[in-house]
Amino acid sequence: MKNKKHAWIFGYNQQSRSIAASLIAEHFTITIIENDEKKFQNALFDGYEHSMLLDVTEDLELEKLDIKQDDWILCLMSDEHLNVFLTLSLHSYCTCNKIIAISHSIYSTQKLKMAGANEVIDIYQVSANRIHNIFEKPIATKLIENFISTDHEISFKEFTIPKNSFLHGAVINEVDFNKFGLIFTGMIDRELGDEFIFAATNINHKLDSGDIIICIGKDEDLAKFEKYLHKDIV
Amino acid sequence: MFSKYIVKLAFGLYNSNRYNNTKKFFYDILENPNYNYKKIVDIFLIILILFSIVELIYGIKNSIPAWMHIFDYYIVTIIFGIEYLLRLWVHNDIHKIIIKEYETSQYLKSKFNFYATLLKALNEKWNYIKSPAAIIDLIAIIPFYREFRILRIFKLLRYTQSISQFIDVLKTKRFELMTLFLLLIFLIGTAGVAMYAVEGNINKNINSLFDAIYWALITTSTVGYGDISPVTTMGRIISMIVIINGLVLMAFATSVIVSAFLEKLGEIKDNRIIETINKEDKFVIICGYGQMVKMLLRQNNFENKYVILEKDPEITRQITKDGFNAITDDASRHDVLAKFNIQYADISLLCLGNNDVENIYITLNAKSLSKDIKVIARVSDQSMKKKFILAGADHIIIPNQTANIMLLTSINQPAVYSVLHALLAGKNAAYLDEIKVLSYDKLVGKSIGELEFKTKKLLLIGIQRQNNGGFIFNPSASTILEPNDILLIMGLKISVEHFVNTFQRGLE
Repeated sequence: MKNKKHAWIFGYNQQSRSIAASLIAEHFTITIIENDEKKFQNALFDGYEHSMLLDVTEDLELEKLDIKQDDWILCLMSDEHLNVFLTLSLHSYCTCNKIIAISHSIYSTQKLKMAGANEVIDIYQVSANRIHNIFEKPIATKLIENFISTDHEISFKEFTIPKNSFLHGAVINEVDFNKFGLIFTGMIDRELGDEFIFAATNINHKLDSGDIIICIGKDEDLAKFEKYLHKDIV
Repeated sequence: MFSKYIVKLAFGLYNSNRYNNTKKFFYDILENPNYNYKKIVDIFLIILILFSIVELIYGIKNSIPAWMHIFDYYIVTIIFGIEYLLRLWVHNDIHKIIIKEYETSQYLKSKFNFYATLLKALNEKWNYIKSPAAIIDLIAIIPFYREFRILRIFKLLRYTQSISQFIDVLKTKRFELMTLFLLLIFLIGTAGVAMYAVEGNINKNINSLFDAIYWALITTSTVGYGDISPVTTMGRIISMIVIINGLVLMAFATSVIVSAFLEKLGEIKDNRIIETINKEDKFVIICGYGQMVKMLLRQNNFENKYVILEKDPEITRQITKDGFNAITDDASRHDVLAKFNIQYADISLLCLGNNDVENIYITLNAKSLSKDIKVIARVSDQSMKKKFILAGADHIIIPNQTANIMLLTSINQPAVYSVLHALLAGKNAAYLDEIKVLSYDKLVGKSIGELEFKTKKLLLIGIQRQNNGGFIFNPSASTILEPNDILLIMGLKISVEHFVNTFQRGLE
């Protein structure tokens, strides 16, 4: 059973409806905040009991929210101006939280980043990139589509190296990922910070517990590897 | 008996691939504006016309070399003659008419009237012979009367689009222009007769009714040569009335022509854009305009080989203002997509409007025209995906779903999100590229182990094998590369380029 994480979803629309459902499937608890009475009622109707109706432009109202340090904040307001304003407001007092925002234009993307969003997903930029890739790299695109589709066969997976696992203390070049049918793509070496290092840069890192490695492989091989990674852990 | 042989011949021609291909080839080079080689033939014929005219003008005051005369008199005439006969040949298929009539008579068990059928088939040829374009072509062949050859200049009409477009525009105001023309005839006739009655016996320059009508025309047009002018007060009054009426008629005619052009200007511009893009072997048609299209075109403008189809003229104006190629037209209409060079060009159609119903209709419209058109459709949500696949869409884009997956990945697997984001955006460190193994490459016959991807700082993700070989994910070291394999490689851009230089361009 995974630990319960909490996400605050600001704005209830078609997109947040789908995201909320997916987060619940991933064992999240969620609270929906909406400033529109009708949309708030929709959230209640859809079964989100922890929904709140409040004026998101009022800082005092936002400060009253019990947002914990590890909670995720998703800014999904339909009104782009309000979304930027809200991101800025939340960033000013939830400095430790990770804020993710959805943008509908390149101009909003820049503003949301400036307002303090840690990740901004530009809905149209992502799609435009995909169309561009379909023309330029059709096979690569097919594979990427496979990664991001829900009915994939080959996918990316990240693994946090547990203490006492066979990878703890090993050097990247000495590990044969091929044995597991996987391709090692890159890692986050905690000693060096949170930056992702691609395998292509060919730097021979020593792996420690807590480091994150990312592999590509068939779902069944990835599952087997995960099991093996946790094997022999006392 | 004779008819029996003709019917047999008709069936023979119908079943002959050689005959049909030859006829299609000549049709394409003479009549199909979307056929690339037609342009070359057109240029060649234009050069011949210009040569003929220059030779004629030069020959008026100079003696021309004998070879030039022979070339113009015989060679050019023969070429134009062959062109005329070929155009007449490709205009329609007599054998098809004969077969159709013959089969109808067989089906109805009635007598096959060969001569009536032949007459019907020849009648279609006659209709072509009577057409203005064919008459001009015929005149261009006639070499016996030297001055007649200047008429070859009219043949340029076939190849000059501006003139034909001008005529098309005038045709739309046929009624107005005809009314003005009749009014002009009436005015000139009346003024000419009046002038002849008033000054016929007094004015020494007016010797006949023709002189008076000539004067009326020159005065109405406000040209006024001055060779004939009124000499009496009544004559001058008539002149004044004619001049005023002439000015009014001129103003009317000008406004009618200008308004016709203004009405047709958008259409002419749109047609020009379509004609330009139809000359390309490969191009993209984008239906709908919004943020996604803007971002896509900023990222990839398809070497300017694209056109946006937008129904709303206001939005089209905005698109043009934004610096993109657009025309006002409805992509869901069959005739609109049929204007594009579907037969010869490699067309990709992007349905990026935000209306599923419209996008699905456009997809079906495109696929009904040609299965080869690659359709990439934007879909609002997963539930609609199946319908688009059934309609024939080759790729489906669900912006909300993609964004949601990215968002969830960024929460659940932040490191994976970094990789995916880098891959989608084509960032340097995660440059995912495709390398096609060509038959003459050094790569052919080499094993994956030999290529030592790891030491070259590359990751080999997989191989796409042709002839239904499918995608081989993470191939083993013993896998041997074959011609036409496509390697999917990830690495730094410079590493990928170095690999290509080493194994494909021989720059080792």
